[in-house]
Amino acid sequence: MAATKVPEVRDITRIERIGAHSHIRGLGLDDALEPRQVSQGMVGQLASRRAAGVILEMIKDGHIAGRAVLIAGQPGTGKTAIAMGIAQSLGPDTPFTALAGSEIFSLEMSKTEALSQAFRKAIGVTIKEETEIIEGEVVEIQIDRPATGTGAKVGKLTLKTTEMETIYDLGNKMIDSLSKEKVQAGDVITIDKATGKITKLGRSFTRARDYDAMGAQTKFVQCPEGELQKRKEVVHTVSLHEIDVINSRTQGFLALFSGDTGEIKSEVREQINAKVCEWREEGKAEIIPGVLFIDEVHMLDMECFSFLNRALESDLSPVLIMATNRGITRIRGTNYQSPHGIPIDLLDRLLIIATSPYTEKETRQILKIRCEEEDVELSEEAHTVLTRIGMETSLRYAIQLISTAGLVCRKRKGTEVQVEDIKRVYSLFLDEARSSQYMKEYQDSFLFNETQTASMDTS
Amino acid sequence: MDAGSQHVLQYLTEVEEAAEDVLTTKQQIVDLDMKRNRNREALSALKHEMSDSEKVKVCFGNMFIKFPTSKTREMIQKDLEQLDKEISDLRRGLKAKVNRLNEMQGKPELTGYNLSPLSADEIRAINSLLTR
Repeated sequence: MAATKVPEVRDITRIERIGAHSHIRGLGLDDALEPRQVSQGMVGQLASRRAAGVILEMIKDGHIAGRAVLIAGQPGTGKTAIAMGIAQSLGPDTPFTALAGSEIFSLEMSKTEALSQAFRKAIGVTIKEETEIIEGEVVEIQIDRPATGTGAKVGKLTLKTTEMETIYDLGNKMIDSLSKEKVQAGDVITIDKATGKITKLGRSFTRARDYDAMGAQTKFVQCPEGELQKRKEVVHTVSLHEIDVINSRTQGFLALFSGDTGEIKSEVREQINAKVCEWREEGKAEIIPGVLFIDEVHMLDMECFSFLNRALESDLSPVLIMATNRGITRIRGTNYQSPHGIPIDLLDRLLIIATSPYTEKETRQILKIRCEEEDVELSEEAHTVLTRIGMETSLRYAIQLISTAGLVCRKRKGTEVQVEDIKRVYSLFLDEARSSQYMKEYQDSFLFNETQTASMDTS
Repeated sequence: MDAGSQHVLQYLTEVEEAAEDVLTTKQQIVDLDMKRNRNREALSALKHEMSDSEKVKVCFGNMFIKFPTSKTREMIQKDLEQLDKEISDLRRGLKAKVNRLNEMQGKPELTGYNLSPLSADEIRAINSLLTR
């Protein structure tokens, strides 16, 4: 054997999985809110993106809390993509909760409870914590133990920052907690002034050479700057739902970690609302109305819709964004027909953004972006063929073919996906139209064939 | 120099001045804290190493004056209170200055920066959320 096998070097950083909308990084708008043709993973849909951009700005300014937006359009026209784009451009500070319409149907929780939990998850409360701390590098600890072994210990602790150095007298308690934390010269520590709690931040860089062998957990930090006695302010953002859960008596705060929160009493919610409003008036808290996104909203039934009507009027309400791909259809739980399967009175409160089917050029562009996202190289002809498939069947089917064709291509040790690879996967996997065609042709050989019995009944 | 560059220069000067202002305030806090720590050391030294009847030598400018211990302790205590007040005033002022600098540089205002803190009781109540 002349050729020796070279062990394949695998890149272990790329273990992140690729979702259907992982290429979306924002709405792709410029500073004047004008949509760019291709930007941040978004392609086309200029009118709807512009509309979404206007809404986004209003959300950021906190103007439209308690309003609702409906994104309507045919399947595969980028409804979820626009919602993702809004989520991405809102940034990490604004709470964004996404849920699918069918998620609220559960045996453990009533529908309205699930909805109100989702509503409250989408409202953030910013609060501030302030503590006086002493932060410095330990220069020396000196502890005098009484010769008898019993009695009060006394000691001295010398702390320094880059600017100053000072000596603290230590009492019995401080000595105990210092020895419990195993603080020694060279450690950088903070002492909470109010509680006397000692926290070790790490060892000072200047003492890095004190020992030859050191545990992996040893962390090196810079000697603190500035004054020794600092004021530390920490800003936290928590959601209303999290505060609810802690205060829900029967569960206790552990419920947050087990995931099963059960139902929360409405009295608890009212108490929390009152407390939060009180904090806001005292300037202790800021309320951030976030975004609640309900996908496939036509899956909700009549009760949920009337609940939504009511919930949107509460003064602690997030911005509600819904998406649906239905036309005029039956409202779930009733026999009434309505546009988008949503009752007229709720529709009346909505701002509706419509998405339109992609053109051929846009489809081509999207497929290109997806190829980059999935790390598949596509030849020019294959790209054209795939665009053709995308136009004739559906965009989703064409996107599915990218990764499968990529696999076929790798199997034959090619570097670039050719037309043959596309042809092969096209013959391997049926699209929706061909699959139904096949069903129609061979329906006799399938079990429980309904079309046949129906025809027999009529005959 | 034409009007454009004049404008830029003026803007940059303003930003620099604001930044300098922030830095001086910070340095002032450091200096005051240093003084505060020295006073604290002096107090504990008086408590542990001196008897009340003794007189201590206190340094005023470039002169040492013998002073009764209790009087000295009172004096330092008063000084400490004054220092505490001054430092917290400076800190309050520092916030406005940092905000002004951020605004000048076109940076977004920090969220929650101007909130007043929750009380210790309230913090304890929702502590399990905060320590995550």
